[in-house]
Amino acid sequence: MKRRLWSGLIGVVVALAVGALIMLAQGYRPFSTYAALFQFSLGGIGPFTTTLKNSVPLVLTGLSAAVAFASGPVNLGQPGQFVFGALAATIGGLYINLPAVLEIPLLLLLAIAGGALWSSIAAFLRRAFEMSEFIVTLMLNMIADFFTAWVIAFPLMDRKAYSPMTPQIVMNGWMPDLGLLSSSTLVMLGAVVLVWFVFHRWRAGYEWRMTGQNSVFARLGGCDIQRNFLAVMLVTGALAGLAGGLVVMAGPHRFIKGLGANYAWDGIMIAIMANNSIVGTLVYGVFIAAIQTGALGMELITNVPSEIAQVLQAVLVLIIVATREYTNVLLDRLSARRQAKERAA
Amino acid sequence: MNDLIALHNIVKVYPPNVLAVDNVSVSFSKGEIHSIVGENGAGKSTLMKLLYGLVPFDSGRIEFGGVNVRFHKPGDAIAMGIGMVHQEIVLIPQYSVWENVVLGAEPIRSMGRIDSRAAIDAVRSKIEEFQFNLDPLAIVDDISVAARQKVEILKLLFRNVSVLILDEPTAVLTPQEIPQLFAELKRLRDRGHTILFISHRLDEVLELSDRITIMRKGRKVATVEASKTNKESLATMMVGRQVIFTSKRTPHRRGELVFEARHIEMERSDGLKLLDDVSFSVHAGEIVGIAGVEGNGQFELVNSIMGLEQPNRGSFLVKGRDITSLSILERRKLISFVPQDRGKMGASLSASILDNAIMTHHRLEKQFSRWHGLVLDYRKARDFVDMLKERFSIQMASRQSEFRSLSGGNQQKVILARELLLATPFFLMDQPTRGLDVGSIEYVHGEILAMREADRAVLLISADLEELFLVADRILVMHRGCIVADLMTEKTTIEEVGAYMLGGRASA
Repeated sequence: MKRRLWSGLIGVVVALAVGALIMLAQGYRPFSTYAALFQFSLGGIGPFTTTLKNSVPLVLTGLSAAVAFASGPVNLGQPGQFVFGALAATIGGLYINLPAVLEIPLLLLLAIAGGALWSSIAAFLRRAFEMSEFIVTLMLNMIADFFTAWVIAFPLMDRKAYSPMTPQIVMNGWMPDLGLLSSSTLVMLGAVVLVWFVFHRWRAGYEWRMTGQNSVFARLGGCDIQRNFLAVMLVTGALAGLAGGLVVMAGPHRFIKGLGANYAWDGIMIAIMANNSIVGTLVYGVFIAAIQTGALGMELITNVPSEIAQVLQAVLVLIIVATREYTNVLLDRLSARRQAKERAA
Repeated sequence: MNDLIALHNIVKVYPPNVLAVDNVSVSFSKGEIHSIVGENGAGKSTLMKLLYGLVPFDSGRIEFGGVNVRFHKPGDAIAMGIGMVHQEIVLIPQYSVWENVVLGAEPIRSMGRIDSRAAIDAVRSKIEEFQFNLDPLAIVDDISVAARQKVEILKLLFRNVSVLILDEPTAVLTPQEIPQLFAELKRLRDRGHTILFISHRLDEVLELSDRITIMRKGRKVATVEASKTNKESLATMMVGRQVIFTSKRTPHRRGELVFEARHIEMERSDGLKLLDDVSFSVHAGEIVGIAGVEGNGQFELVNSIMGLEQPNRGSFLVKGRDITSLSILERRKLISFVPQDRGKMGASLSASILDNAIMTHHRLEKQFSRWHGLVLDYRKARDFVDMLKERFSIQMASRQSEFRSLSGGNQQKVILARELLLATPFFLMDQPTRGLDVGSIEYVHGEILAMREADRAVLLISADLEELFLVADRILVMHRGCIVADLMTEKTTIEEVGAYMLGGRASA
């Protein structure tokens, strides 16, 4: 635990240093750039709540990937499950109008169902035809992408708009702001707590973890591997779908072309950085959101382009993963050397 | 004595904390055959790899011909005249013998072409010099394993090494090929070569060596003259105490019928019978052993009892109930199971000790779940692990430590304890002492005998005949998927069981 914290911190520091070198090579001043970056993302309540709001899709898709990878199924379908969740929430918001206390939970449930429906296709194909979920979820991403593009360009297109998008959903389905804080942040935090509890305290979560680590052992121990596979696929699809629904309900309030952006791929990277830990996914998700959020403000007051955020993000992933592995090797080697010295004396 | 190589206080720790070589000092003279013996994991191979520059050592020094040396890669060692032949042979099978021998040291003509005539002549003269009886033009793929091993040795002699390290060279040879290898090694010694011979076969070592170094748990126990020792004293030094095998088994009344296999048949897709009409029974308070050379159907039998595979025909009954079509979870209510491979089937090495200890209990024991099985009670689970630790004296740093951090014996204790505490009538154990040290083996045997006292039915599958004779009441012998013998331990001998194991029904 302590070791993980240290290797993560060292990784972040080294990655920021490498980012600084890249900026220096480009002729920018790294210190003022970083100062601007973090001032616009973490420097005060306003920037911080914006960062939190922007972290919602990253953390939730990251959570989806982390739970899947730690439990065995290679679900890489978060991008498709994300847009299907978004689409389901949008459709609900276009055709159903209830008081907000009912409308918001209903749309969230629709988003969850949309994501789970999309991941269940991969789970079904695996069960019926032994098709690898790795390939199937990736392919389903394409289908989801083009299907939603068609839906917003034809049946659900807003005739008044210049580019493909749906009309706005009913006002009662908008995620309200609580002062500066978006309520979508609270939904995300709730999801993190719930998933942690399921994963680390429920009997099902215990079986998922054990199956992810050694499926033969889990099977011999009496775990129902097939049912657990289905459950994990549904839950992780639901998390990605929830992310999509929240983006629609807290943001543009409609399905716009390119809504999914890179959220889900960033989420998968975050899960990898966090080594599939749930708390780690939350921390790294907020950190990456801070860099992305701060980059936009930084561009206003420095002449560094906001694309530097993407460079930083790539460097962070590589260095954090490398540092984690290398710190372990290094610490093991140090302890070996210490023991050798004792024996030689 | 005139030492050619002297190792002084060598220490090697494999990260993070496996002490492989513990302060070893040993010397080898010119023109001797020096064997290094020890059990698996005693550090004999590691010690030689350190000398050869394959593995770096942490402290100590190596003297070669009176000069301090440190080899960073095998090439350095070969340049100084030290060569090593590994257990697994690494030659290019498509190349001929001479091509393999000169590879990396080819005689070159102008324009970088290989002077093949000169190379073949050189290889041929080396073969004649050492009387190796090899055809330099033969393709390696076509020659025997023994001949390939000779090519490996020849490769080193071609590079003029004077010290040859051989890592268990006889493991891959048939009994008929071994005397020839020994004759060649003795000839090399007589010409002034030094040979370091790693083995754990004591008869061979006594026959071949001039001196013998015994290692145990990374330490050097002693170096002795081969002519002044015998097999018994070598064995005692290797294991660390006198090896006497006596059974603590006392007579026990056999109870009711618990487990029954009825005409089990399993076929591979090509029709080969892996299990052929296997029928037997195990009673309460009885330990039935299954002997057999590995790969004669034991693994398939275990897998089909546990439900990992389905037999084509036949049925298994526990207490009269047919379990053949039950789910694994339903079977686990009746069967406790210790598999042969701890890391693959018996535990998750990267999970915590606690997570490993509650497997199966998490489903079968009401005390571990709350809210109708939705939530696990981790407080009860922690108490459970503390109880296991106390009752089975398991050495662990903490409940949350990774399972892999436990020693092999303690890992097996956790698995054994977990399975023992399931309230099942039938206990299936597949090679439960494999890879354990002597102390842990005794512990496991004690627990197996205690199960018999508690009137559980035990089926023990083992490749170790001595183990079966120590604990089993009855020994079944498997050969090519059949049960070929059913013998009472008191009325049979190791020799009789061994004959059934090798020859099946016909031989006895």
